[in-house]
Amino acid sequence: MVKKTCIVLGVILSLMVMASCAKKAVREEPLVTTEEEVRGKPIEEGEEPGIEEKSLAASLERKEYPGIEGEFLESSLLKDIHFGFDRYDLTPEAREILSQNAEVLLKHPGAKFQIEGHCDERGTIEYNLALGERRANSTKEYLTSLGVSLDRISTISYGEEMPADPGHTEKAWAKNRRAHFIILSR
Amino acid sequence: MYLKLYLRVIFILICVISTFISAEVSRARVYIDIESPELQPLPIAIDQFKDTGRSQPDLARRIMDILANDLTISGFFEIIPRSEFPQESNATADPPGYQSWLMSRSEALVIGGYSSKGERLAVEFRLFDLVEKVFLGGKRYEGSAKSLRNIIHHIANEITYHITGEKGVFDTKIAFVSTMSGNKEIYTVDFDGHNLRQITDNGSINLSPAWSPNGRLIAFTSYIKRNPDLYLFDLTRSVVTQLSTDPGLNAASAWSPDGSRMALMMRRDGNTEVFIINRDGTHPRRLTKSWSSEASPTWSPNGRKIAFVSDRAGSPQIYTMDINGRNVKRLTFLGTYNASPSWSPRGDRIAYCGRLNGRFDILTINPDGTGIRRLTENSGSNESPTWSPDGRFIAFSSTRGGQSRIYIMNANGANQRRLTSTKGKESSPTWSPRMDR
Repeated sequence: MVKKTCIVLGVILSLMVMASCAKKAVREEPLVTTEEEVRGKPIEEGEEPGIEEKSLAASLERKEYPGIEGEFLESSLLKDIHFGFDRYDLTPEAREILSQNAEVLLKHPGAKFQIEGHCDERGTIEYNLALGERRANSTKEYLTSLGVSLDRISTISYGEEMPADPGHTEKAWAKNRRAHFIILSR
Repeated sequence: MYLKLYLRVIFILICVISTFISAEVSRARVYIDIESPELQPLPIAIDQFKDTGRSQPDLARRIMDILANDLTISGFFEIIPRSEFPQESNATADPPGYQSWLMSRSEALVIGGYSSKGERLAVEFRLFDLVEKVFLGGKRYEGSAKSLRNIIHHIANEITYHITGEKGVFDTKIAFVSTMSGNKEIYTVDFDGHNLRQITDNGSINLSPAWSPNGRLIAFTSYIKRNPDLYLFDLTRSVVTQLSTDPGLNAASAWSPDGSRMALMMRRDGNTEVFIINRDGTHPRRLTKSWSSEASPTWSPNGRKIAFVSDRAGSPQIYTMDINGRNVKRLTFLGTYNASPSWSPRGDRIAYCGRLNGRFDILTINPDGTGIRRLTENSGSNESPTWSPDGRFIAFSSTRGGQSRIYIMNANGANQRRLTSTKGKESSPTWSPRMDR
């Protein structure tokens, strides 16, 4: 009798779960706006590397810094990570971004890239050089822990010399405390 | 160009003329004690220099302007305006009619003359003590017409010597970083803010100029080759050479007092450490070994110790150590951010910048960690202190006017003024050594 009740309850529960899932799926439907996005999913999972290769190539932009020898590539797939004031430890958000960056890098083992450590304008120029060095290094260490090989990575500290945002606000400073990725060769 | 002229003047000063006009030099006496916190500037009258060659009357005005400006900005002198000079005709004679100055505030008098012949210029001065009624000293200088400023700076140095017991630093220069051309390039300028010279012109990021003890070289860090490498600029030949190019930082260099070595920050094991290299960039020796960041080394004037920044205790603080890396002592405990140490040429103080109430100010401290003195307050963020070679002035950068600019003050914090009048963001001043050694 008890057993029977349990089964009935179980069936009711699972029906409820299914119903809620179905409901959820319905609610999420409008978020899927284009066919492309649906097709994009298997590529991320690495089932069609040919297409992914293309998308990395499409994400690349040729750049150079004024006064610094040599061109390099920037990929919109390699996202910046950000740091707290006078900090070089990785936030959970930064680790998440680095995991995504690592996925991209692992798929392109030939690419040599550089991690730039940057700081906001507060603090001394020289201590910020040291801090930028540490930011680049902790970024590098995390990427190698995810399997990216060390000999592909170089690091450089720009201290406070290359702000992403030239402003003098908390918002600008938060943007400037970052590690940035450039591709030196493919 | 300027340097050639400069060297020529020095050559002339040392080898040819520079004669004492009178043998009756009074006993050495210190008129103002510049160490005193209540320093009262000495009132001094400067008579218009006489055009003895009667060839360039307009020079008298320029000589007066340069000399009066030098003495004023030092903070040691108050220039008595001409309207306060006594009416007697012998007041500025040689020797002066001392009686006529009795009612004047002025305690010293400078008289002088000049003559110019084509490209040649001769200037002489005499300094009198109006209270003791004695001749203090005088010199005659010859050089090219274009060396006028330099000659007058040497006269100001001499006057300062007679009044304060030590020669002035009016012929010294300050190297600094400026964005006036768009990016960070290195420039030098005279103590009085004139005579700007661009040192680097590579369009890159150039940082941390460091003057060699003989005044002939400036080391600096540049990103030209996508790495912060250390370079050397030869001021006489205007030639740049590479010095240290290890992957990672080769930055914040500081010459040993004897010029044989340099301390700098370099990368090891994922962070920066203090290293010493030979002056040709060879033989790097690691001084610090920690999991923390080390930065901004500065030598004690006897060459035995190095002060530096480390965040080994969780926040950037200033430490000292022997030059073999041993005997590390923490110097600063006040506040959570102390950096940019600069050891005074007399060895008795270390200037640095510390964050107080969210802004940076310039402070000085004894090398044993006692006697903190705050020199700037409520005037923007103040960073990068550097001492004049006589230890009487400190140059630093400040955002008090909005953008970061270079300022100079007396070592007790008095008399703060802007150094240059050029555009752009300025940072990292470094004072030259004395140029006449």
